[in-house]
Amino acid sequence: MSLHDYSLRRYRKGVLPVTGMALLTAGAAVVCKVRWDLLYKGLGSGLVYFKNLLTPDVGAFSELLKPALETVLIALVGTFLGTLAALLFGLAAASNVAPPWLRQSVRFLLGLERALPEVVILLFLVAAFGLGPFAGVLSLVIGAVGMLGKLFADAIEEVDPVSIESIQAVGASKVQVMYYGVLLQVLPTVVSYALFRFELSIRLSVVLGAVGAGGIGHELYRSFALLDFHRACTALLLVLVLVVVSERISVYLRSRVRQKGRPR
Amino acid sequence: MKARLFLQRATVSSLLALILLASFVYMGVNPGMLFTEFHYVVDLAGSMSPPHFSLLWMDKTIAFSVLETLSMAFLGTLAGGMLAVGCALLTAKDTMPYPWIRGIARFMVSLVRVIPSLVMVLIFVVTVGLGAFAGMLTLVLSTMGTFGQLFTEVIEATEKAPAEAIFSVGATRWQVIRFGILPQVLPSLTANFFYAFDVNVRSAVGLGIFGGGGVGFQLFLAMRVLHYRDAFALICVIVLLIVLTEKLSDGLRRRLIGRGRHRQHTKLH
Repeated sequence: MSLHDYSLRRYRKGVLPVTGMALLTAGAAVVCKVRWDLLYKGLGSGLVYFKNLLTPDVGAFSELLKPALETVLIALVGTFLGTLAALLFGLAAASNVAPPWLRQSVRFLLGLERALPEVVILLFLVAAFGLGPFAGVLSLVIGAVGMLGKLFADAIEEVDPVSIESIQAVGASKVQVMYYGVLLQVLPTVVSYALFRFELSIRLSVVLGAVGAGGIGHELYRSFALLDFHRACTALLLVLVLVVVSERISVYLRSRVRQKGRPR
Repeated sequence: MKARLFLQRATVSSLLALILLASFVYMGVNPGMLFTEFHYVVDLAGSMSPPHFSLLWMDKTIAFSVLETLSMAFLGTLAGGMLAVGCALLTAKDTMPYPWIRGIARFMVSLVRVIPSLVMVLIFVVTVGLGAFAGMLTLVLSTMGTFGQLFTEVIEATEKAPAEAIFSVGATRWQVIRFGILPQVLPSLTANFFYAFDVNVRSAVGLGIFGGGGVGFQLFLAMRVLHYRDAFALICVIVLLIVLTEKLSDGLRRRLIGRGRHRQHTKLH
């Protein structure tokens, strides 16, 4: 396609998409009220704000450790219980385990549920149960079911039917087939996804804290609101440590699981 | 052998149970609350229904806020994705020969990646004021962080032979990128742009709650003033919005590259 090629094909493949994208971008920019002058003017105050964030309040460190632990625990418990619940939902949504009507309805529910961000779920749970870690754990469990339920169902559907049949052939009961034929087969996948979800849960748990689940996210948000930047900086540093360390742990354990789960 | 296996499993499961119990005690959470306090959920559901759907066409701001959320996600994906491609070119071994530039770029991307978007949006709200612009800027940065690293991996996973062949006949570095590497990564990059849009619509709703504008902010306001019936209608809109975006993004991606393969890569790389 040379520069002097004014064919219809060139028009369709080149000019139209570019013009369309430009129009869309311009429209979106108007809707979002993108104003670079505002950003330019505000950059000064933003930078001052950011600079204040660079000096931590060392004294606050020890009193922030407890909320940080709470954030980790919310994520840990939420992930664990969420994985267990998601496994049940995954079984109910797999075609080789559940009847079609159950599979369809559970998949539909999971799809709806996945569409709700955890923060939105928490807004409602806080309205029902009040502020505190209970609502946080519950919203993480619900979020994990939405995300992991479908993944587990897909993994269960991919289980080799031959291994299920051979277990049935030696006279295993229904429960035994479920355990040896299905659950043990998908265990490496389940553990690997659960570890991945834990990494996500830590991040989410921080954000949820700001909405009302408590923990380090709450401290961070409150310090911001009270303009106590040095405390906010300490909280931010702790959050960074949590995020990075949980990611490292999750990646390391996942690589171990993948090696172990590899067929011999 | 069997006894050892049993012992191992018993140890692991009792340890897990103990940790779970200890965390419940430490947090002061009683899991039984789910059943003893369930009537609050029923009360809430009662005060939420029937959803106040007429709000959606009576109140022009709601329709506009949906548009705002979509625009935020679109601009965040476009600008953030382009920044991510730029960063990836600076970070990948195939495209950037100088280790120190690679190191700096890598550090920048991972720094942006670990800063929670909650903190970013709080800073941007101070900088440009409450609203969709602040949310959009946050999305730009978070997209750059997440997808910058992914694109680096995509570039480093390309076939080396075409690039070397082009280089060996005397192409400049830019020509090597343009003709040896870009054609290989383009399908994956485009597919990831669609995926990023899907992710960003979700985060745009969440960011709204912290002052990022859009339909999330409207939901937050409705919950704040206890207009639960309005909130329920908004929830329906949000679910519809996210489900449709997911379907659209999945469909376009599937047309670009094979089914399912791609998402797994993004989720579990």
